[in-house]
Amino acid sequence: MSKCGECALFFQVPDDADDFEPGKADCVTEIKDEKGKYWLSKPVFDNMKACGTFKKA
Amino acid sequence: MATVAEALEYRGKSIEFPLEYPEENDIPDEELHEHLARPSTERTKKLKARCRWKHASAGEFVEKGVTSGIQRMRFITEAHRASDGKPEVIRRALGLANILNKYTLVLQQDEFIIGYHAEDPNMFPLYPELAYMAVADYLISDYAPQPVDEATEIMEYWKPYSMQGKCEGYFDPEDLMRMYQVSTMEAPGFATGYNSVVPPYETVLEDGLLKRIEMAEANIKKAKEAMAETPWDATKGLKWIDKIDNWEAMVIADKAVIAWARRHARLAKIVAENFETDPKRKEELLEISEINHRVPAEPCKGLKDAFQAKWYVFMVCHAIDRYASGFAQTEDAMLFPYYKASVIEKAFQPMTHADAIEWVEMERLKISEHGAGKSRAYREIFPGSNDLFILTVGGTKADGSDACNEMTDAILEATRNIRTTEPSILFRYSKIGREKTKRLVFGCIRDGLGYPSIKHEEIALEQLKYYSQFSKEGNGATDEETHSWANVLCMSPGLTGRRKTQKTRSEGGGSIFPAKILEVALNDGYDWSYADMQLGPKTGKSENLKTFEELWEAFKVQYQYATSLVIRCKDVMRHFEGRYLQMPFVSSIDDGCMELGRDACELSEQPNGWHNPITTVVAANSMVAIKKLIYDDKKYTMGQLMDALKANWEGHEEMHKDFKNAPKWGNDDEYADTIIKDFYEDIIGGEMRRITNYSGGPVLPVGQAVGLYMEIGSRTGPTPDGRFGGEAADDGGISPYMGTDHKGPTAVLRSVSKVQKNQKANLLNQRLSVPIMRSKHGFAIWHAYMDTWHDLNIDHVQFNVVSTAEMKAAQKEPERHQDLIVRVAGFSARFVDIPTYGQNTIIARNEQQFGAEDLEYLNVNL
Repeated sequence: MSKCGECALFFQVPDDADDFEPGKADCVTEIKDEKGKYWLSKPVFDNMKACGTFKKA
Repeated sequence: MATVAEALEYRGKSIEFPLEYPEENDIPDEELHEHLARPSTERTKKLKARCRWKHASAGEFVEKGVTSGIQRMRFITEAHRASDGKPEVIRRALGLANILNKYTLVLQQDEFIIGYHAEDPNMFPLYPELAYMAVADYLISDYAPQPVDEATEIMEYWKPYSMQGKCEGYFDPEDLMRMYQVSTMEAPGFATGYNSVVPPYETVLEDGLLKRIEMAEANIKKAKEAMAETPWDATKGLKWIDKIDNWEAMVIADKAVIAWARRHARLAKIVAENFETDPKRKEELLEISEINHRVPAEPCKGLKDAFQAKWYVFMVCHAIDRYASGFAQTEDAMLFPYYKASVIEKAFQPMTHADAIEWVEMERLKISEHGAGKSRAYREIFPGSNDLFILTVGGTKADGSDACNEMTDAILEATRNIRTTEPSILFRYSKIGREKTKRLVFGCIRDGLGYPSIKHEEIALEQLKYYSQFSKEGNGATDEETHSWANVLCMSPGLTGRRKTQKTRSEGGGSIFPAKILEVALNDGYDWSYADMQLGPKTGKSENLKTFEELWEAFKVQYQYATSLVIRCKDVMRHFEGRYLQMPFVSSIDDGCMELGRDACELSEQPNGWHNPITTVVAANSMVAIKKLIYDDKKYTMGQLMDALKANWEGHEEMHKDFKNAPKWGNDDEYADTIIKDFYEDIIGGEMRRITNYSGGPVLPVGQAVGLYMEIGSRTGPTPDGRFGGEAADDGGISPYMGTDHKGPTAVLRSVSKVQKNQKANLLNQRLSVPIMRSKHGFAIWHAYMDTWHDLNIDHVQFNVVSTAEMKAAQKEPERHQDLIVRVAGFSARFVDIPTYGQNTIIARNEQQFGAEDLEYLNVNL
């Protein structure tokens, strides 16, 4: 089963960040609708089960 | 072809009114507004075209896909469950921190000011900790948060902890049921969750949050040292406990806000490096990242910093920590130091005045897509708009000089360019204000935006000084501080700045409805036409009221009952807000809370008590008609009147005509105005000011209708002013009833100027002639009108400059009139998003022309 940590949309939180935790990352996805494009960023951890937007890194 | 005003004879000359811009001669009246938008850059043009408006019409969202999100309610609940046993103020801070740490962030194409308050730009958050009724309302709608089961479980969890759960037990259920009718009184804030706040933005822009954290930590250290002093003195030492909790909560909140902003910085960088292909936008995203890493943690150094930091504060205070309507700030004064750094001195984030205008346009579009999780009732009362977002500009500085500056002008120029319904603007009008800025104010008004609305600078200054004497802390506004006032919402002045600002609507806000109160006063406290229940005390059947004075007294008793009850609700809520709904982030950015270690909801330094009587003129005109036709002329009996009203005038046509033709407010009519002045001063204001609120000061009336004149009109039976049951009520706070002011604009001013005592504010709606305002004499006439208004010591005025032809055309082909904006009352709305019932009330307003007598009275030089 794929994990978030293996995803191309998994961007590790730098270790000097205020919200740093081991294994924590920003999951950034691009959405497009009739009004245009936007990006969402969700906090995730490397060992979480990957979601439907999983993209192999 | 555009209509041009007819020439008139004035001071021995024939005055022609050619249009100021000759090219407008070719634009038909029916489509003028569609030619007035001019976004200043390609970016703002695109942002406007793709704006995710959150307008509502008849309580429904106009755009498809708008819905509520679940993340905020999920994360605050999770934190509340996990923090059981901790001090309540710490729990509130942890709740905010949990939301900010886990929230999904949003970054949209082309935007420079970034950040959104829900997990998707088409969503808005909900607030189960405020009122379960407001959440329940969403659960049964098409806008329910998903999954609904989880949302329902969250709502149930909060019932005992919510403001509503805490407060309800202190009221007679019968009284609450009367309030829930929203016909004589607005429902209590603890049931609606509606709030307003004036965030002390200045401390964030000037200090940065890192400094605020340092201040709180230093205070904690001092407090702990003081507690450790020997010999122990409990009378002093125990007081530190609550203060330490408050400061610690401030630190938690501020750290969370910094981390959240820096997550945004990371997002911009990730998008720049991994998604964006346009090199120019890439560069911009990296700049956005740099800005968002620095602010609001550090002090702002340039205009871009200031807009972004301000946006974060707005989101937290108005949408994430809790819901609050409003956009209160003195924006021009606040931003001018950063304008100076970036535009004048080019010292940091160098830009031109035109760039500054683009930034204002971008901020206006951010506000335009900011969604509010208001209950259906509150969506209904702001038809054609999103929420009450109102900023303030103009006025005078502490030394009495003109406060207008280049930032004021940039705000007004951008506003005229971009043409959005929000945010509305309030202009503080002083006669010393510079003409250049007044011309820009006029430009917005003439283009039909309905704002800036205008308030009398000197009346507001005196009012804030008056309230300051009641400060329980002995620390009300100084004379100098009064000069930084802004409207808290659409009408009532309050302080802005680093401390003493209004933090909660339980201080001022909320409505009461004199027209319906008169209806129940005529029926022994009973509401026969809508709720079919007793709505107030038994004050006797109207047939037994032998004199006008007895009717006056009966109304007074009903009004006092309702007024005391609504304000008791607010104060009980304030009591619990200070204990369970603390706002540690707001506390952290208020110098008073920081110094004293007290919560923003609990601490009141500057009293600002007010409540909004809405539909006063229907009640007042009715009093005039009753006095004249029943008690003075004795043409009819009270029994006959009651029969006619119960029949909605049907079968009583002659009588209806008499009551409809009785003297009306707004015509400088001595008979009507004498009674109505007393009605305002002795009852509406006189009775209200007998009340003392949480802050220790009197409560004064702020007459302003928003869209409630429609909603309450629909719940009010026929009234003795000749109005049919269900018809809209009066649309302002002191405006003449639509279509009943026949004597011209200056007669309206003379009537309104007679009411001076016991008032805090009163909204005056006026509709001015489009051809005259767009003529080459438009500014001269308006300017003279404004100076006369000022001399007459009138508190407020706002204008519609829109033709009946254009509004009727928009009713026929709404899709062709998306840019048609009108002033409703206290807010502007996209005309085509207002239900027909409401549209017709705007059309019915008298379009004031200016005859030679008016011009003479105004002493216009043409």
